Amino acid sequence: MSEISAAIGFNLIVISPTIALVGTALVLLFFTITIESNETVKKSITLIGILITSFCVFLKFGLFFQNGISSYFTQKILLDEFSLFGNVLISLILLFNFLPIWDSSKQLKEKTTEAIILTLMSASGFMLMVDSENLIMLFIGLEIGSISLYALAGLNRGDKLSNEASLKYFLLGSLASCILIYGVSLVFVSFSVFSVYNFALGIAYVGPDSVPLTTSIGVLLIFIGLLFKIAAAPFQSWAPDVYQGSPTGYVGFMSSIAKVSSFIVIARLCLVSINIIIEDFNIFFLIVIISSALIGSLFASIQEDLKRLLAYSGVVQSGFILSGIVSGINGTSASMFYLFTYILQLIGIFIIFSIINGKLSSEFNIQSIQGLFINNRFLAASFCIFMFGLAGIPLTSGFVSKFILLTNLWAYEKYLLVSILLLSTVAGFYFYLRPIWIATIEKTETPIETLKLKKSEYFVITTLATLTIFFGLVPSSLINISRWIVQSYL
Amino acid sequence: MTGLIYSFILLPVINSILVFLIPNRRKELFRPLTVYLSLIPLGLCLYMFVNQNLKTSFLEVDSIPWITAYGIDLIVGFSGMSFLLITLNCLLVLLSILSVNQEYAESKGFLGSIMLLQASVNGVFLAGDLVSLFIFFEALLIPMYFLMGIWGGSNRRYATIKFILYTVFGSIFILAGTIYTGVLSYISSGKFALDFESIASMSITTSQSEILFLLFTFGFLVKVPLFPLHTWLPDAHVEAPTAGSILLAGVLLKVGAYGILRVSIPFFTEGFLRYQFIIAFLSVVGIIYGAIVAIVQIDIKKLIAYSSISHMGFVMLGISAGRYLSLEGAVIQMINHGITSGALFMLVGFIYDRRHTRRISDFGGLRKSMPIYASIFLFTSFASIGLPGLNGFVGEFMILMGSYPTFKVLTSVAAFGVVLAAIYMLWAYQRMFNGQLDNDENAVLTDLNSKELVAVGPLLVLMLFIGIYPSFIESYVVQDVSAIYESISNLIGVSQ
Repeated sequence: MSEISAAIGFNLIVISPTIALVGTALVLLFFTITIESNETVKKSITLIGILITSFCVFLKFGLFFQNGISSYFTQKILLDEFSLFGNVLISLILLFNFLPIWDSSKQLKEKTTEAIILTLMSASGFMLMVDSENLIMLFIGLEIGSISLYALAGLNRGDKLSNEASLKYFLLGSLASCILIYGVSLVFVSFSVFSVYNFALGIAYVGPDSVPLTTSIGVLLIFIGLLFKIAAAPFQSWAPDVYQGSPTGYVGFMSSIAKVSSFIVIARLCLVSINIIIEDFNIFFLIVIISSALIGSLFASIQEDLKRLLAYSGVVQSGFILSGIVSGINGTSASMFYLFTYILQLIGIFIIFSIINGKLSSEFNIQSIQGLFINNRFLAASFCIFMFGLAGIPLTSGFVSKFILLTNLWAYEKYLLVSILLLSTVAGFYFYLRPIWIATIEKTETPIETLKLKKSEYFVITTLATLTIFFGLVPSSLINISRWIVQSYL
Repeated sequence: MTGLIYSFILLPVINSILVFLIPNRRKELFRPLTVYLSLIPLGLCLYMFVNQNLKTSFLEVDSIPWITAYGIDLIVGFSGMSFLLITLNCLLVLLSILSVNQEYAESKGFLGSIMLLQASVNGVFLAGDLVSLFIFFEALLIPMYFLMGIWGGSNRRYATIKFILYTVFGSIFILAGTIYTGVLSYISSGKFALDFESIASMSITTSQSEILFLLFTFGFLVKVPLFPLHTWLPDAHVEAPTAGSILLAGVLLKVGAYGILRVSIPFFTEGFLRYQFIIAFLSVVGIIYGAIVAIVQIDIKKLIAYSSISHMGFVMLGISAGRYLSLEGAVIQMINHGITSGALFMLVGFIYDRRHTRRISDFGGLRKSMPIYASIFLFTSFASIGLPGLNGFVGEFMILMGSYPTFKVLTSVAAFGVVLAAIYMLWAYQRMFNGQLDNDENAVLTDLNSKELVAVGPLLVLMLFIGIYPSFIESYVVQDVSAIYESISNLIGVSQ
C-alpha cells in the first residue's frame, strides 16, 4: 500500500486546507440536520474550521521547504510557491470576511448554515483550483467554487436584483466554464496531456514555431474562461450587475476569492506552460488590458451605484494586474504584490459597505454615504484610506504596487501599456475621489442615525487599514515575498 | 542634524495629531495651541540658520532603505534654496493660522489639514531622491483636497476636482520620468538608484535627456503654472479658503519651479537647452496674458490669482534663460512672490471676513474707514509691482537683466509685464480705496485689529528687508544656483 501511495504521490497534507474546509462544511451540515444547536456553536465551529484551514496551509509550507516544487496524486495536485501564495490569500480572505459573512448569514434566519456552507465549499473549490497541476482539476476546482458563488449571489430570494444577479452570473459563468473546458479539450487533443508541466514539455518538444493551431486556440479559450472570472474587459459585463445585486455582505468575499485564484492560475499558466509561446498572445492580452483600463475607467466615472463603481474599478485593477503577469517574471512578481494589496483594500471597502448598507441589501446608491463623516468618523477615515489606496495615492500600498508594476512594464519596454495605465490612474483619481467627496465633504439635510460598530468590526477594519498604510510605507518585506514566489522561474 | 531634518516633516504631522486629540468642547484652545505648535518648526528653521552652515548646494543627509529588492532608498537632504523655501513655508503656515477668522479657528480639521500640508511641502523641499519627491508631491494633494473641498467657496467642487485632476495629470508624467530614470539607472548600474547623486553621475544620451526633461518639466509646469496649463489656478484661488490661498500661492506654486531647478535642469541639461526657448516663449506669453487678464477682473482675489500667473511667468523666464543672474533672480523672485502674494491673499481675506464680498465695485473709499488697512495694502501692492526698495523689484530686475543676453526680444516684451502690473494693482487700489465712501456698509468697517496686524506684520518687514538688503537671501542661494549654472555652462562650453 505504502509503495502505491508513494507511486501516485498520495499526500494528505497537500490537500489538507481543502479537506479542512469541506470537513467544516460537513460538520456544520450534520449539526443543522441532527442536533438542535445554537448560533454560538455554529459560529465557533466555522471559525475553528477556518483557523484549522490556516494551520493546514502552514503545514503545507513545511512540506514545501522539505520537498520543494513537487506534484502529488499522479500529477493532479501541485505544490509550488503560487499554490502556497494562493492558499495564504484564500485563508486571509476567509478570515477577514468571516464577520460580514457570518452577520449576513445570520440575517437569513433558517438559511444561515446553508450560506456558511456555500462560502466554505466555494473556498474549498478555489483552494483546489490554485493547487491544481492538472487542467481538469483546475476546471473541477473552478466549478466547485463558482457554483457556490452563483448560489451566494442569489441568497436573498426576496430581492429581485439578487435573483437577477444570480441568474446572470450562473448563465454567463457557465458559458465561460464551457469555453474553458473546450479550451482544455483542445489542448488535450494536440498534446494528449493535462498537466501544466507536461504541456510545457510538449510545446518545447515541437518547438515554438510549429505549435499546432488547436493548441493556440485552446490556450486562448482557457484564458478567456479565466479572464471572465477576473472580470477583465471585454468579459466584464456580468460584474456590475452581480456586484450590485448580490447581498452586500458577500460581495467582498465573492469578488476577491474568484480574482485571487484566477490570477494565480493565469500566472502559473503564463510562467510554466506557455512561457515560450507567450509572444503569440501579446496582441490578445494587449487588447484585453487596454480595453479593461479604458472601459473600466470610463464606466466607473458615471456610476451612481457604489457597488457598480467598485465593479468597474475592479475591471481597471484587473487590467493592471494582468499587464504584469503577461509581461514576464519580474512583472508577475509585481502583480502578485499588487494582487495582495488590492485584495486587502477590496475586502476593507466591502466590509464598510456592508456595515453602511445593511448586509443583505442589493442597491447602494452613492448618495447614501452622504454625511458618513459626521455619522461615524472611524468608518469615514478608513473608507478614505481604502479609496486612496485603490486610487494609488502615495503613502498607501496602492501607490507602491502601481509604482513597481509600471517600473517593470517600462523595463519590458511596454510603453503603450504604461501610458494607457497611467491615464487610467488619472481617471481613477476622479472616480475614487467622488465617493470620498460625498462621504466626507457633502453635507446632508436629513439627520442620520449613528452607525454602531462591533468591537470585532473595529478590529478587522483597523487591521486592513493599517496594512494598507503599512505596505505603503514599508513595502520591502512583501516585495521580497512576491519575488520569492517567482524565484524558481528566474 | 539628521533628526533635525526629519523633524521638519514629522513635527507638523505630530502637531496635527495633537490638535486632533483635543476634545471638541475646548474649541477656544484650537488656535492658540496650533499657533504655539507651529512656532516650533519655525524656531527650528531659525536655529538652523544660526547654527548650521546652510550656504551649500544640495547635501544628502540620511537615507532609509525603502524597497531593498530594487535598491530604492529614500533620501533626505537640504540646500540653501530648500531651506529658504522651508522657512517661508513654516512662516506662512504660522501666519495663515493667525489670520484665519473665528469660524476656521474652531475647526480642528482645518488646522490639522494645514499642518499636514506643511509637512508634505517640507518633504518636497527636503527630498533627496525622485521617489520621495514624487511621494510628497502627490501627498500634498490630500490635505489640499480637504482644505478646498470642505472649507471652500460655493463652486468648490468644480475647482477642487479641476485642481486635483490637473495636478495628477501632470504628476503622471513625473512618475513616468521617475520610472524611466530608474530603468536607465538599472541598465547602467544594476540598481534602481534614484537619488540625486547617482542620477547626476548617470550617463544618458541626448535623446534620452530630452525625453526625460520633457516628462519632468511638463509635470512641474502644471504646478507652476505656465501658460496654457494655468487654467486651474484662478478657480482654485477663488474657491479656496484664505489660508489655503495663502499657502497655494505662497509655497505650492514654488514646488513646481523648485522641481524644475532641482531635477529637470541639472540632470537633463541637454533637454533643457533644446526646449528652453519654448518655455521662455510661453513664460512671456503668460506674463503678458496674466497681466492683461488681471486688469479686467472684477473679483480682487481673481485679480491676484492672475497676477500670480504673471509673476510666476517671470520666474520661469529667468529659469529658462539659464544665465547665472537670471537663475538667481528666479530663485529670489520665488521667495519674494511667496511673501508678497501671501500677504495680498491675507489682506483680501481680511476684507472678505468683514464684507463677505470680493467684488472691486462693492468697495470704494475704504481709505477713509480703514486707513491702516489701506496703507498696508498699498505697501504690499508696491512690493508686488516691483517698486525699487521693496522685494519685488530685486527678483524681477535680476531676471530681466539676466535673461536679456539670451532672449533679447522676449525679455523686452516681458518688461512690459512690470508696467501692466502697475496698471492692474494701482487701478484696483484706486477703485477700492480712493474716491467716495458711497456704500454705507463700507463706512462702518473696522480697521485691522492687533491680531491681524501681527499676522501680516512679519511679511511687511520681510518685504522691506529683502528690498534693501537682498544679498542676505542671495548668499543662501548662491551655491545652489552655481551648481545649476555649472551644469548648463559645462555643456555649452563643450558644445562650442
